[in-house]
This record gives sequence, C-alpha cells and structure tokens, in this order.
Amino acid sequence: MATRRGFLAGILAAGALPQVSWADAGAPEMLGACRDDAGAFGLVGLDGQGQALFHIPLPARGHAAAAHPTHPEAVAFARRPGTYALVIDCMTGRVAHEMQAPAGRHFYGHGVFVAGGDILATTENLIDTGEGRIGLWSRSDGYARIGELASGGVGPHDIRLLGDDVLAVANGGIRTHPDHGRDKLNIATMRPNLSYVSLRDRAVVEQVTLPPELHQNSIRHLAVGPDGQVGFAMQWQGDTADTVPLLGLHRRGAAPILAQADAGEQVAMQGYAGSVSFDGAGARIAITSPRGGRLHVFDAVDGAFLHSHKRPDICGLVAGAQGFVASDGLGVILSVTDRPRLLARHDGQAWDNHLVRL
Amino acid sequence: MMNALLTAMVLAGLMAAPAVGDVRDAVQEHVLPAASGFAATTAALAAAAQANCSATPLRPAYQAAFDSWMGISHLRLGPMEEEGRAIAISFWPDKKGMIPRALNRLIEAADPVATDPAEFAEVSIAARGFFALERLLYDPELSDYGDGDYDCVLVQAVAGDLARMAADIDREWRTGFAQELEQAGGENSRYLDPREALQAIYTALDTGLEFNALQRIGRPMGSFAKPAPRRAEGWRSNRPLRNVNLSLMALRDLAHALTDVATPQTDAAFADALDVAARLDDPVFAGVADPSGRLKVEILQQRIAEIRHAIANEIGRPLGISAGFNAGDGD
Repeated sequence: MATRRGFLAGILAAGALPQVSWADAGAPEMLGACRDDAGAFGLVGLDGQGQALFHIPLPARGHAAAAHPTHPEAVAFARRPGTYALVIDCMTGRVAHEMQAPAGRHFYGHGVFVAGGDILATTENLIDTGEGRIGLWSRSDGYARIGELASGGVGPHDIRLLGDDVLAVANGGIRTHPDHGRDKLNIATMRPNLSYVSLRDRAVVEQVTLPPELHQNSIRHLAVGPDGQVGFAMQWQGDTADTVPLLGLHRRGAAPILAQADAGEQVAMQGYAGSVSFDGAGARIAITSPRGGRLHVFDAVDGAFLHSHKRPDICGLVAGAQGFVASDGLGVILSVTDRPRLLARHDGQAWDNHLVRL
Repeated sequence: MMNALLTAMVLAGLMAAPAVGDVRDAVQEHVLPAASGFAATTAALAAAAQANCSATPLRPAYQAAFDSWMGISHLRLGPMEEEGRAIAISFWPDKKGMIPRALNRLIEAADPVATDPAEFAEVSIAARGFFALERLLYDPELSDYGDGDYDCVLVQAVAGDLARMAADIDREWRTGFAQELEQAGGENSRYLDPREALQAIYTALDTGLEFNALQRIGRPMGSFAKPAPRRAEGWRSNRPLRNVNLSLMALRDLAHALTDVATPQTDAAFADALDVAARLDDPVFAGVADPSGRLKVEILQQRIAEIRHAIANEIGRPLGISAGFNAGDGD
C-alpha cells in the first residue's frame, strides 16, 4: 500500500495524470456484451438510444463487465468458472491488462470498482473449500492483487457498492468446482444470502437470508436504488412449476420484501430472473426472464406487481432516462416505459445476459 | 454462353428457393383451424353442461374438448398469453394441491361467484380450467353431486369460462394476431421482422416438444428411486398417453406447415415417436413404477428428444434461428 500511495503522490505532485474520461470513448451510457452470427464475441459501448459507439472484439464469451466510474476502462470477466479477466481500454479497444485469478481461485463473472475507481472488487470462489471471496485489485498498480475479503457465503455472483464503504454481495449459495464445469454440487443443502461487507471493517456487517423453504432460491443479481435500497433477483433451483418469488427488496436494518406476480404470470417466469434494475426514478424495479420471455415491473416501495411485458429472450436490463432499457438475444435494444418500444436493432448480434449502466 | 448464364440467373431468381419457414402457412393451415376447433369443442362442452351437469354424461364432451386443447396448447404466444389464459385453461402441474382447496372453498361457501361469468373469470386459476373440471367430473369425492347441488352450478361455470377463453383466443387470432405474425415488421406488429415471427412459431414448436418430454412424461417418471405416476397430466381422466400422442400429432402438423422443403429427418423422428406411443400399452404411465414399464416410457421420451434434434437441424438451422441465446444459457 505504501508503494501505491507514494506513486500516486508523485504523479499528483507532478500534475501529470492524464485526464481522459468516458467522453473520450464517445460518452457511452451503457455497455453490453454480444455474440455475432459468425460466433465472435464483443464488448459494445452504447449511447442512450442504443446505438453502438464502439465495438471491441473479445476472445471468448464474457459474462458481465465492470465499468470504471470515470476512466474509459471496462473489465470483462470470463464466464464462470473462468480464471481470467480482461481490462479493456475503451478508447483504443486494446486489452490494457490481463488479470489472472490467484492460484486456487476462479472468478464468478462480476466485479465493481470501489475507492473512487482505484480498486476493483471481484467475486471469486476459493476452490478447495467453496467459500466465497471478494478479490481486491489495485488499478493504479496495474491491477495488482492487493488482498481479499470473505464474501459471507458460497458462490458470490453479483456485487455492488453502496455509498463509499459497503459492498452488497449476492452469495448465490451454489457450490461449483472447476473439475465439474458449471455443475451444481450442493443443491440439496444450498443456503444463499445477501451480504453487506464493509471495506473499512473488512467484515460482513449485515446478512439477509431467505426462509428455509426458499433455500434453493439462488440470490444472483443486484440493483441499487438511489437511496441505497437493494433489489435482488433470484434463480429457483427447485421445480419450475413452483411459484416462488424471484425478486427481493431490502433496506439495511429492515426485513426483506419478497415480491411476485399473480400465479399465472409467476409460473411463466420459469423460476428464473436474469437481470434486475430500478428505473431511472428509483420508484419501480423490474426483473427479466429470458426463459419466460418476460419483463416484470414492481413497485419499489412495497413490491406490488405492476406490469408484465413480453419479449422473447429478453435479459439485459438497466435504468433508462424514463423507465428501463432492456436487451435481447435477437439484437434488439428496447426502451420500456408503459410498453416496450424499439430503440435500436443490431442485426446479427445476440446481446448477452447483462447491460451495464455507466 | 452468356445467354445461358443470364437465363440461369433469371430462373434462379424467379424460382426463389423453396422457403423453409412459412409463417403464413403455419398460421392458416395449423393455427387457425386448431383455434376454431378448440372454440367449437369447448362451446359444445359448455352447452352440454347447461343441458345436464351430472358428471358421467358430461365426460365425453370433456374428453373431446381436451382433445382439441392438445391441438393448440403448444401455441403459447399472442392470444394465449393474454390474461394468463394458457395457465388458466390448464393449471398443471398443481404441485401445492391448490385445485382441491380452491374448489372446496367455493363449494363449502356455495359461493355465488359461480353464477356470474364475469366474476368467475376473476377467481383463482386453481378453480378454473380443465383440471378443476377434471376434479369435479372424475374425482370420486367431488363427482357424486346431484342436479340441485352447488357443484352443478360450478361445473357449468368452469365449462362456460373455458368456452369463453377459447372463443376469445379464436377471435383474437383471426382479428389481429394472425396479421401481426404474417405482416411482421409492419406498423402494427409486435414482431419487428419476419425472422422474429418465425422464431416465435419455431419456439412454440420446440417448447411444445420439450413440454411433452420433460413435463408430460418427465413428471410421472420422477426418478428411478421415486417414480411418480400420479403426477401424470390428467391421470384421473385417463389422458396421460393420449395427451402426448395428440400433442405430437399437432406438433408434426405445425412442423410441416412451417416448412416447404423436405424434412426427412424430422418426418422419420415424428413417425418413430408416434409409433412408440402407439405401441405403448400404458395409458396413464402407471408402468413407470417398475423397471420394464419405465424403460418403455423412457424410450418415448428419448424419441421426442430426437425430434427436437431433427427440427433444430432441418428447420431451425436453415432459418438461422435457435432456442434463445439467453434463455438457453443463463447465469
């Protein structure tokens, strides 16, 4: 740590820090990963209308990307159980760094910048024990590994920053081992949770678990509202005919609210929520189910079900200027307010699981 | 030489390769007749219930209506998705035992909601549709009602509600949704281009096959250690194998309507599966509980999986469509 401080102080004193920003990469508002018809993968920067500003080839299918808050830099994670992540310079399209998971660990596909963008936090699996880890990497030291924290559970997936200190981590509860690919090894005993991990205290400071009958509801993806409310999307590992809630709402210190649609719509989701996001105003929250071809919108205050919108293979979801912006496997970017509306089409491209809002 | 080349080019252009993927044919030849047939048999069921609501005499009309449901149950798009109709028509599987509870609640209270069709359309889906009616007509504990009993009114309400939904589906297909599919990309279509319309129909075909393999057959199979014949769809009314059989025939019909080119692999796979189904002497999949009977049911399941491979090869791949990128491989 002392080295980095000294290095930073030196640069600041010299006034030499180049001030590039996302504006230099065309000021994208969203990032999305895609596969084209030829089977090639890429990372795409999109403007508010869903038009591509840049398209950077990736060597393999990624999962999510972590976008730096100010610098035009994104980290693309290999799909789990991948052991590498690529830091992409979105101005040049080049791979600026290749991050390698430390021995005995692999990435789970999500990460987030903390400490004003100087540290990247990544969800990881400590392979021998199956315990979840949050890896910490120093950007100013060329993405050197500088430490790790316990994630508070098994199979940490999505990770978000609340304020400046606390990480919300979706511990999905599912144990995997690279020797068995993506096989789920502990479905009978899994116990997911939502953990709040303080960077300052280096400890789990609050944890939300589900009632025992929902222990197979893997908490996978997260959204943070304007006032620190957390939304969590779940993937049911039990029978798809069970109608279980797939969305949870939580505020620190309070009990979670589990939200679901009426039985017919809930069954249609097929026990699977792929992405979750608040809308631009933070008043509503939505989840997508590519399997059910549905976007379900709920009231963010009480979790009341409001609308179902239908669109095959819909998955990526972020807040829009109004409502939501969603992406699908047919190359379409949609604006969803009172109804889905076409924003942009990218023929021959399939949008992957997530969109990332900048 | 030049002329010959030109002629060949012109001919090639005129003859326009026979299209794999004919949305119009699929709608006109497959969907619309199936929707109108379903509306007709459910209307007949509702009329029969009005004439005589007793369980035994009503069963043939119930069976006929369910037969025609197998002709359309895979078309889970457009009108079928509105107002949660698909699940209201066919609330299966009922894993939590919601159907008997919902029915008993209505019966014990002699709830007058059954006398008002508009209100009945709003009751729990567990008290509506084919599987509520199956309980009332076939479950010994519920089917011994008399003419003046509340159950009689309830049977008429469920049958009338089914007929209403079937008529709505039929009408909406004819008066709007058929055009939306056929004119994909136009102003008034929710499908942005013809490929999306094709994809929607192809998905219905593939999902229908999958439903037969994984749900209609997979649920009663359970696991080797825990077979579950009582989880078969419609076992009280002797329908499990019949449903698979009729559904496969409807899906074969859809596959043919969707393609103008020869699909020998698909045809052979359907023929194999239907042949296995025809020779399977186990109408309610009771055999899943013993090893040899189980094997026979499992073979049918495998044959259906082979149909899915065949349609992917001969229909999906030439059309450039497949099961969803995200739906098939999430994280």
